[in-house]
Amino acid sequence: MIEINATMVAQVLNFLILAAILRALAYKPVARMLQQRSDKIRETIDKADADKKAAEETLRQYKSQLADAQRRAQEIVDKAELTARQEREVLVAETKKEIDRMKQNAQAEIENERNRAFEQMKAEIVSLSLAAAEKIVEKNLTSKENDKLVGDFISGLDKDMFDEAK
Amino acid sequence: MEHIGVRETVQFMGLTFNWGTLCMTWLAMAVVIVISCLAVRSLKVIPKGWQNFIEIVVVWLQGQMENMMGKRGKLFAPFIVSLFLFLLTCNLLGLIPFLESPTNDLNTTLGMALMVVCIVHISGLYFKGGHYIAHFFQPFAPFVVINMIEEIAKPITLAFRLFGNILAGEILIIVLLHLVPIWMPIPSVLWLAFSIFISCVHAVIFTMLSMAYIGNAVKE
Repeated sequence: MIEINATMVAQVLNFLILAAILRALAYKPVARMLQQRSDKIRETIDKADADKKAAEETLRQYKSQLADAQRRAQEIVDKAELTARQEREVLVAETKKEIDRMKQNAQAEIENERNRAFEQMKAEIVSLSLAAAEKIVEKNLTSKENDKLVGDFISGLDKDMFDEAK
Repeated sequence: MEHIGVRETVQFMGLTFNWGTLCMTWLAMAVVIVISCLAVRSLKVIPKGWQNFIEIVVVWLQGQMENMMGKRGKLFAPFIVSLFLFLLTCNLLGLIPFLESPTNDLNTTLGMALMVVCIVHISGLYFKGGHYIAHFFQPFAPFVVINMIEEIAKPITLAFRLFGNILAGEILIIVLLHLVPIWMPIPSVLWLAFSIFISCVHAVIFTMLSMAYIGNAVKE
């Protein structure tokens, strides 16, 4: 059952041949692949770290820009509010002025209207007075006499009487 | 049962060869080469199929070599990986009906063990020179006797451990098939399963011990 013979040497040779074949055929490509994989994983991890750092930096920049933008927006809002308040005050003042001016205009117009009405009334009174006088005296005077009579009548009117009539 | 241990021999150039062992060895070599070809046929970053198996073996053995042999272990990586794959295939081959393990022949296991021991001593002398020879005389000169016995025991234990286990496994399979009726295959199946486990374990043990011996000789 146990017999040592030349098979032992043949087996060693067989194995050495197999080892040489496997080294060239399998071990080297597999070892190269494993190395490539570990390099790739390392590279990916390094890249991921770099990307993370870049992302954090970008986030920090964005936050800073956002804070800056918010600050500037607040400034703009404050400024706009201030401007609006000032404009409102200006508008209110202008409106008050306009109202005053319109009031003055209205008063002036009223005055004019009153004067015009007074003049009309005066003319009406004259004509009525003439008609009344004509009826009373029932005498047809000449035109010259009429004018004189009217002029005397008018000038005889008391100015204060009109003021009271106002 | 009478065929157990009987080997067909051939004569070539005046030398005797166990023909069955040689044929089974060539078959085992072919299987290993075919599996390796399948594994490396289209290597991918994400492994599939046999590439997984070969990568698991290579990565595991590389890790063991780094622990046991240091940086110089990389030099022996192809040898160790080949040794493991070869022994594993040889051990498992005997579990297939009508085939036998090349490792159930002492010529195979002793050949492997002597080859490992030769590599151990040659590597030791190459990397450590005189210090390697001096370590046989440590701690005192008379210890050289004990150290020599240890060195001689190394290949013998390596060879006989593997040979004995594989041969015993195969013999017991045959014996069980004769002892137990065919309608009750449970003992045979259980023993077959155990033999698969034993085959793997002894391939690992042989490889690990070889790594340890080489590691002792070459480690800085």
